[in-house]
Amino acid sequence: MGLVSGLKAALPGVGLALVALAAAMFVMSTGPLASPPAALFAALFGRGSPDAELALALRGPRLLTALTCGAALAGAGAGFQILFRNPLAAPDLLGVSSGAGLGAAVALLAGAGAALVQGAAFAGGLVVGGLALGCAALTRSGDGRLALILCGVVAGALASAGLGLVVIVAEPYSQLPAITYWLLGSFTRATLAEALFALTPVVLGAATLLWLGFRLDVLSLGDEQARSLGLPARRLRLVALAAAALMTSAAVALAGVVGWIGLLAPHAARLIVGERAGQLIPASMAIGALFALVIDRLATAFGPAEIPVGLLSAAIGAPAFLLLFVLSSRRS
Amino acid sequence: MSDLLLEGLVAGRPDRRGKGFRLPPLDQTISPGEIVALIGPNGAGKTTLLKTLAGLLVPLSGSVARPRAAYLPPPGAVGAGFSALHVTALGRAHLHRWSSGLTPADLGAARAALDRLDVGDLADRPFDRLSSGQQQLILIARLLVQDARLCLLDEPLALLDPAHAQAVEAAIRSLADEGRIVIASTHHLPFAARADRVLALGPDWAEMSTPCNALAPDRIRALFGVEVDGCPCCGQALS
Repeated sequence: MGLVSGLKAALPGVGLALVALAAAMFVMSTGPLASPPAALFAALFGRGSPDAELALALRGPRLLTALTCGAALAGAGAGFQILFRNPLAAPDLLGVSSGAGLGAAVALLAGAGAALVQGAAFAGGLVVGGLALGCAALTRSGDGRLALILCGVVAGALASAGLGLVVIVAEPYSQLPAITYWLLGSFTRATLAEALFALTPVVLGAATLLWLGFRLDVLSLGDEQARSLGLPARRLRLVALAAAALMTSAAVALAGVVGWIGLLAPHAARLIVGERAGQLIPASMAIGALFALVIDRLATAFGPAEIPVGLLSAAIGAPAFLLLFVLSSRRS
Repeated sequence: MSDLLLEGLVAGRPDRRGKGFRLPPLDQTISPGEIVALIGPNGAGKTTLLKTLAGLLVPLSGSVARPRAAYLPPPGAVGAGFSALHVTALGRAHLHRWSSGLTPADLGAARAALDRLDVGDLADRPFDRLSSGQQQLILIARLLVQDARLCLLDEPLALLDPAHAQAVEAAIRSLADEGRIVIASTHHLPFAARADRVLALGPDWAEMSTPCNALAPDRIRALFGVEVDGCPCCGQALS
């Protein structure tokens, strides 16, 4: 691609990413242990004041978790919305979120430690997502998208049933609150190492979706059109779905079930950069990261007790989604 | 330049008991630059045949030797929120292996194709907001930038007003002028009359002939069970 046009195409995404970074800096320079951005940067490279290093050590993981989860859920959501050409497609379309929730709940029931719970959640999400993809592959409907949606609903329902069972058998005074709290979502539980570890699948998935770029645009036209345009539709779609499922699983493993980001961010991004996947996915990820930062900041804004981010994201995300819908329908 | 070769091709949609829907066997050779009109009553299997020729459906028996093919559904069947230019440029998607974006060369080719069909002014409009006729012209421009040598058009003139039908027909001719094979199903008999050959698809027979033979009143009666007074080839308008 020509350098100039490539840069021009990347401009909105880069701009939004810078806004998200600036917001992260702003968040770190307010509230408890506030440090100015310059000191934080110095601390990042091991040469900062003790105050800044402490701030980074205590608040850094949480910030990284929020940014990673927001970007991952939004990127995956954008991928699903493009693939299914459906504005209601969200990262849990394949039942990945329910599967991750089930994995975490089973691990909590077994009394596992934090790292193991995350691992179980990640694995649970991928297993249930894989189950949905596998079932869809068995059907022979013309356009595979309907089969995928139905199989995703089935796999998600099975995982939810399993989760219900775990909740019933959980010990009501210690395990049940832990499971409930985990499911409501929080950006506070991951250590820096865990957050960095979760970054790997997220980066891998995002890079895959970005490479797919205009191929996602072709896939959004439907199987028949994609094959007529000379692309291996089924294979590419599988790659895209696997990438999106990877990102979703990692995000849920890190922070629990935080809904609405994956639905909301792509819609906001679409208003700014339009429908093309090459622009929509990076812009969605930046907006998702920004949204996650905002709800994380709000989680601690009301009194000493922290509000679970899963609750906040729904409480803010649902009306915001409605607002965006009204805005975009007025525009057309 | 390669021909489209059909040897004992039986298209159809099988069901579990092996009965299903079968078209009569076809043995044909169609050369580059030819426009073949596919006519027949609703349900005769025109779409099934086109999709089988495109490789989207597997033949029940026989074989198809085809150059690279592209299938276009009837007007209004493709939806996309992208600009008309982007939709056109996606015709070159298969040329990219590792690139994640379309190149200026892709966009240039797309623009040239849109200009060639006189729809260059639609380039920046969202595809979804265009009329069916305009969309059809954009999709034919996409066939121009795509290097498909076999273009299978499903009722390309359906739903179109006379002006757009004329523009689309001219666009179809420019596909053939570049040495592509065009096979288009249609219920628009004057269009069939101007094709190079006509493939009539009846309930259990198929017949390839010249437009004049295929559209003669007795053939139309055999195919559709209706009377027409006149033949488009002999200068008389069809009713």
